[in-house]
Amino acid sequence: MGKKNKIILPPQLPPDIADDEIEISDEDLSFVKENKQYAGFLKTLDTKSINKHVSRVADAKEDTLEALYEKRIKKKKSLEGESKEKENGIEVDRVDVLPVKTLDGKLIYKTREPKVNEKEDEGAADNDGISNSLLKLTKPERRAKLKKSKKEAKQQVKDAVHLEEVQGNSQAEALAEIKEDLSTEKLFEVKKNKLAEVGMSLLADPEANIKSLKEIVEISKDEDHDVVKLGLLSLLAVFKDIIPGYRIRLPTEKELQMNVSKAVKKTRFYESTLLTTYKAYLQRLITFEKKSSFRHVSVRCICTLLEAVPHFNFRGNLLAAVVNNISSEDDAIRKLCCSTLKSLFTNEAKHGGEATLEAVQLIAEHVKAHDCQLHPDSIEVFLYLSFAEDLGKSEIPKDVKKEKYNAKKRKKEYEEQKKLQANDRKRSKQELLEKTREEVDADFKAASFTPDVMERRRMQTDTLSAVFQTYFRILTHTVQSATSRLLYNRIQTSIFNISVRIIFIPEFVIRLAAFIGGFKEDPSIDGFRVGTKSSTSSFFGRFGAHPLLAPCLNGLGKVSHLLDIDFMGDLMNCLKKLACAGSNSDGSLEGSLTVSERLRCCILAFKVMRNNLDALNVDLNEFFVQLYTLLLEYRPNRDQGEVLAEALKTMLCEGRQQDMQRAAAFIKRLATFSLSFGSAEAMAALVTLRDLLQKNVKCRNLLDNDAGGGSLSGSIAKYQACASDPNQSGALASVLWELSLLRKHYHPVISSAASTISNINTAQNQVYLATTTPQQAFKDLNIEHEVFDAKGNLGIPNKKNKIIFRFSVSAVNADDPANSYKVDEEDLKRKFSEHFTVLRDIGENQRLRRELNRTVSSVRLYEE
Amino acid sequence: MRALDEKETTAVFEKLFKFVGNNLKNIVEKPSHEGSDGTTQGRYCFRLQKNKVFYVSESLVKRATNISREKLISLGTCVGKFTKGGSFHLTIHALNLLADNARHKVWLKPTTEMAFLYGNHVLKGGLGRITENTAAGDGVVVFSMADVPFGFGIAAKSTQDCRKLDPNGIVVLHQADIGEYLRMEDDL
Repeated sequence: MGKKNKIILPPQLPPDIADDEIEISDEDLSFVKENKQYAGFLKTLDTKSINKHVSRVADAKEDTLEALYEKRIKKKKSLEGESKEKENGIEVDRVDVLPVKTLDGKLIYKTREPKVNEKEDEGAADNDGISNSLLKLTKPERRAKLKKSKKEAKQQVKDAVHLEEVQGNSQAEALAEIKEDLSTEKLFEVKKNKLAEVGMSLLADPEANIKSLKEIVEISKDEDHDVVKLGLLSLLAVFKDIIPGYRIRLPTEKELQMNVSKAVKKTRFYESTLLTTYKAYLQRLITFEKKSSFRHVSVRCICTLLEAVPHFNFRGNLLAAVVNNISSEDDAIRKLCCSTLKSLFTNEAKHGGEATLEAVQLIAEHVKAHDCQLHPDSIEVFLYLSFAEDLGKSEIPKDVKKEKYNAKKRKKEYEEQKKLQANDRKRSKQELLEKTREEVDADFKAASFTPDVMERRRMQTDTLSAVFQTYFRILTHTVQSATSRLLYNRIQTSIFNISVRIIFIPEFVIRLAAFIGGFKEDPSIDGFRVGTKSSTSSFFGRFGAHPLLAPCLNGLGKVSHLLDIDFMGDLMNCLKKLACAGSNSDGSLEGSLTVSERLRCCILAFKVMRNNLDALNVDLNEFFVQLYTLLLEYRPNRDQGEVLAEALKTMLCEGRQQDMQRAAAFIKRLATFSLSFGSAEAMAALVTLRDLLQKNVKCRNLLDNDAGGGSLSGSIAKYQACASDPNQSGALASVLWELSLLRKHYHPVISSAASTISNINTAQNQVYLATTTPQQAFKDLNIEHEVFDAKGNLGIPNKKNKIIFRFSVSAVNADDPANSYKVDEEDLKRKFSEHFTVLRDIGENQRLRRELNRTVSSVRLYEE
Repeated sequence: MRALDEKETTAVFEKLFKFVGNNLKNIVEKPSHEGSDGTTQGRYCFRLQKNKVFYVSESLVKRATNISREKLISLGTCVGKFTKGGSFHLTIHALNLLADNARHKVWLKPTTEMAFLYGNHVLKGGLGRITENTAAGDGVVVFSMADVPFGFGIAAKSTQDCRKLDPNGIVVLHQADIGEYLRMEDDL
């Protein structure tokens, strides 16, 4: 209301001058004529609206305006009087507190009064509304005072161009508002107390006070958001505590009709009330989950409930809600959901694995529905799944026993048959015995808490199949978009069999739709997919075109030992396509994968192969070719060096034996690689190089200063640096001249490593331990590099010495004299100056030679 | 001595392609050091002489024209021969050519090297290593674990099938091995 009454005064207009009186100078005229473009805006000016704007108040309500001004002045006076009175009243004892000087120069004396108020206020807050009456009195006073002092300050400044508020009204307004505030606050307090009371009573004796659950639900339907939130949270606390450790099954009609004892009735009532309220609560939570204001609260409630009581009814709804939020754009919600799922996966004992299965299946559906455009976190939760491999193994002896038992039984039967069938009575007795034994067994199984092994295995199989399904979906999706956007396979029709290795009983061999192979052109699907992609990829775009690929590859690497051999071929083909994807699509970034992703594909291929090595030793030539080309495409800041180091480790260091040609090609390329990148990459490459040289004795020919390679170089007589196939590069015909350059590397570790490698042939003791892996080397130097840089900037000599000392300790081989890098500043300076002198001399030399040539040629010309 | 006609060329190339795949290009376009006078690089070509096919550098072909056809026994590298029925067989002499450009390789365990050199097939048990995605029917070059080429043959099973094969199953069907230099000295 107060705001509506407000009248905005126009700024003071310049004194009216008749148009005629304005004299326009010739200069101005000529300027306008010359620069018509400048003056163009004058034509477009909307004079009408300007006039209206300026004269709105002035023309229409002149009277009111005047009245307003009068009012204002009056109020000022009266206010001043008032405030003076106040001040007089307040000036009780100036001794107690120092006065405060306001900006406008007035002295304000603080009195004890507000302090008392404050104290009371605090007390009120503590005592939860016991002293509400006090609060009611003191608050408005304080507020009013505050407002007044503000007003005073404003008026003192006296530059109020327009009136802010009609004073009288505003005060009343403010008071009313405050009262309202206060009442809501009070109400809030009351409700809070009520919630606490009811909750406590519920927790104290849930069976007796079960009815009050509904009360809380009622409270949580309040209009006030805070109250609702509080209600939800307190309900959460209550439910978390009183939900029993079993699933509630509501009695059937038939059971209801039966006569039961009082205790049973009571329990039934309790359970049904609990269930209905729980259901209502969940419904509320799920509806709130869609509203932005309650989102965080409801998601947190859902997650906590799922974590605390995964065995209880309505788990499916909870799971669905959590999975829906698993790739939420809100970081907090996503993290919460993911951690809930993780704890669900790790604490399987709580729900016997059923929830895991459901969750995994839901995630699979989710991924399918979103066409693999989700946050990477949503797939990373799969890493926390655990599959007990010996679940099946324990079953084998049992089966064997059973068979033995059966055989025995058969034998017995046979003997029995051999015997006379006269003793029928005996047989019937035996049958009866067997029957009862079976019954007892079944009862025991039902009663025992240990979950059935077969059941668990079945669940694990299903879980695994869902996980693999998700992974393969992502892979095929990536393959599709990577190889060609026009190629799409018929997902529904191409069905491959995946039998997961844990399961060896034929009836449990699961059939899984794997969507690999069988491409088909389908432009209509293409259009649709592109549409969806563009809408979702905006958020997940920062994870690249294939946000799920990296976690998917990691996950597959973890469970690769569970893959069946039959399926491995398809997986390999898929990975090969992915690894080649970047090189095929030249230039167009749309479908191609990044270098890191392609490296990951190679790593995964090797992991899968290694985990199934017992079957066959397979040479993954294609992936080596990919790595060979990827080494050239690597860029330090764009791509992840860790992945490269891992690839080097898994593919080159851990591989058993290398083809000689290939090893030589890799050695040469790694040497070149280490020349052109930072120290961390270089070190990783050098470690790999050393490893390769150690394994392949023949490749040490590269270290000899004798180009040509002789008969070893094979058909290619000359080294081809750009060859894409390591077998065709003819690297054995070259020399590792890079090492002698690397010996002069600025980083002491690298230079020492390089000199060790170049001495590998002559050094007799080749027993030193190859402890460092490329990964380790990369990590070390990556950190050290930073330290090195930071200290280098400081330039403190003794600190430098310390670092250098550490370097020499961590150096790969410390027996080299070149390691003694006790370089101090002066030495460095001297070296630098030498270096630059040499450089300058070379420049000078060249210049002189050129001159000489020119003179010689001119002399010749002259002679001719 | 004459150049191969079209039918013969396809027969030879098809056979070689089985072993070397796209590296066939390297074989055909390989520059020869012999006879290159600095400006023009010599090339290698295929020549037929008395039902044997030879891989010869062009300069050698020119010089070989001085010898009459009846008297000429061999020139360059023999890669194979045409049978009476008109089909082409690779001989062991082609091994180096194949080994340098091989697409599919098989490495033998040291214990089975001798067995292969006596002309036997490669069994699963003797398999040291095998190139991934070898399909049945592909040409395979057989190496020792120290990367010495021993011979070549035809893959009997794909890499996938090899995994499930029992140790006595045949993986590579023997075609030629370097033991032939001793065993069939007269024929070669």
